[in-house]
Amino acid sequence: MTAKPPESHPPEPSHQALEQAAEWFALLLSGEATEAERRRWEVWLGESAEHRQAWQYVERMSRRFDTLKAGSASRLAASAYQQASNVLFQRRQLLLGMAALAGSGLLGWMSWRPGAMPGLAQAWLADHRTGTGEVREMVLADGTRVWLNAASAFNQHFDPVRRRLHLLAGEILIDTAADPSQRPFYVETPQGCLQALGTRFSVRLDDSAQTFLAVYEGAVAVRTQTGSTTVVPAGQQVIFSADSLSAMAPADPAREAWTRGILIARNIPLSEVVDELRHHYHGYLSLAPELAGLRVFGSYPMSDPEAALAMLEQVMPIRVSRKLSWWISIEARG
Amino acid sequence: MLYVDHHAWLQAWLRRRLGNAADAADLAHDAFLRLIDKPRRFNSAPEARSYLRSMASGMCVDLWRRRSIEQAWLDVLAAQPEAVAPSAEHQVIVLEALYEIDAMLRNLPPKAAQAFVMAVACDMTYREVARELGVSVRMVAKYIAKATLCCLQLEARQTVEELPRGASVPPAATSVPAVS
Repeated sequence: MTAKPPESHPPEPSHQALEQAAEWFALLLSGEATEAERRRWEVWLGESAEHRQAWQYVERMSRRFDTLKAGSASRLAASAYQQASNVLFQRRQLLLGMAALAGSGLLGWMSWRPGAMPGLAQAWLADHRTGTGEVREMVLADGTRVWLNAASAFNQHFDPVRRRLHLLAGEILIDTAADPSQRPFYVETPQGCLQALGTRFSVRLDDSAQTFLAVYEGAVAVRTQTGSTTVVPAGQQVIFSADSLSAMAPADPAREAWTRGILIARNIPLSEVVDELRHHYHGYLSLAPELAGLRVFGSYPMSDPEAALAMLEQVMPIRVSRKLSWWISIEARG
Repeated sequence: MLYVDHHAWLQAWLRRRLGNAADAADLAHDAFLRLIDKPRRFNSAPEARSYLRSMASGMCVDLWRRRSIEQAWLDVLAAQPEAVAPSAEHQVIVLEALYEIDAMLRNLPPKAAQAFVMAVACDMTYREVARELGVSVRMVAKYIAKATLCCLQLEARQTVEELPRGASVPPAATSVPAVS
């Protein structure tokens, strides 16, 4: 199907082609590309109209910086940008935190998953991590089993006196093993520290500077950054930020189903389901803001986001349309 | 009709968020202008409200971002000796360019966005950027690729949105699997 008139609309590049174009741009911009790499880039460019279209976007994007480059003030502008973006980022974290505490996912509908995740840069360098759409089970040196949800990462520090995991992004489910040398087991998050008291529990970081803890067996002691403490028994869950600890609520055993690649929804907002799907979908998922609060029931296969969306479409007043190979949009039906 | 039903509460809601009646009036006005520009049908009043509220909170964020950028730019200019400061006209051009760049990069982690601006707009080498941000050169390259991908996706989305209604995009490389 390449017989369409090329000048009316060239083929839209796939996610993969855009990714490759971005990699080439980063390499060529570094000024350290070898002659052989340059030739490989030319070959890539010559391979298909799709690649050339992706490169068109690179050129259009870099032209947007021409005004800044032309003047003598580009360094000044960059330093102003650096200041402003630090301030704005801190404020955004704060706002997201407040929005989530108030129970409304205010900004979620427009946030761009791959970049929006705080701690992403750290997560790239983590000891253990999973990418989009990947759930992994592993056994640590002491026999503890860990399930790592999609787009998650943690570092592991075991020493002779302590076993510590540092959760950097996403979600882990932990089934601790009894340690022969009886070292305590801790999970650290940016908001506080959890101590396992012989147990099975899951810990999740969300985009709004909060830690979510659900305990399925045993108990877990929580200490927040600012020193509030509590012990969460089996069957209970809490949410905490650096300085506040929610009331305990019954843990939803269905949450555990993610270790099998399934999301079991019992009256949760559509925005949460879509957030979860974004961890599993290679590409961009947009959700019309007026749909964010719709309640969802049922089991959905996270390991197959497109099937999950098709199922949602059948039971909810939504229309799922594919704008591009990597862009799915969810809108109101009718 | 929509205007009559919703203008008053929207403006009041914005005034609470912004703490400023003049800004609230401006934003409420802009929100309705956008709706006139791209009309939508709502099935119920709560649906209209929730849509307007989402749109308006996005506009508050935009306003706040523009103000922060303007302030940072004025701070940087104020720290310069007068002799080397750019001309008034050029100051405005730079500010507009910064708004546009912020709109492109706002969803990236700050260091990735900053690395991108330094390398692309200022022609700084990766080594210089790495020193400025206190990260490795390899990390800078990763930041640049990440930020570039984010910008390319925006360019691609804009292209699709500008296509005339009904125009179909040529079939994508990966097709939608049929789901029974």
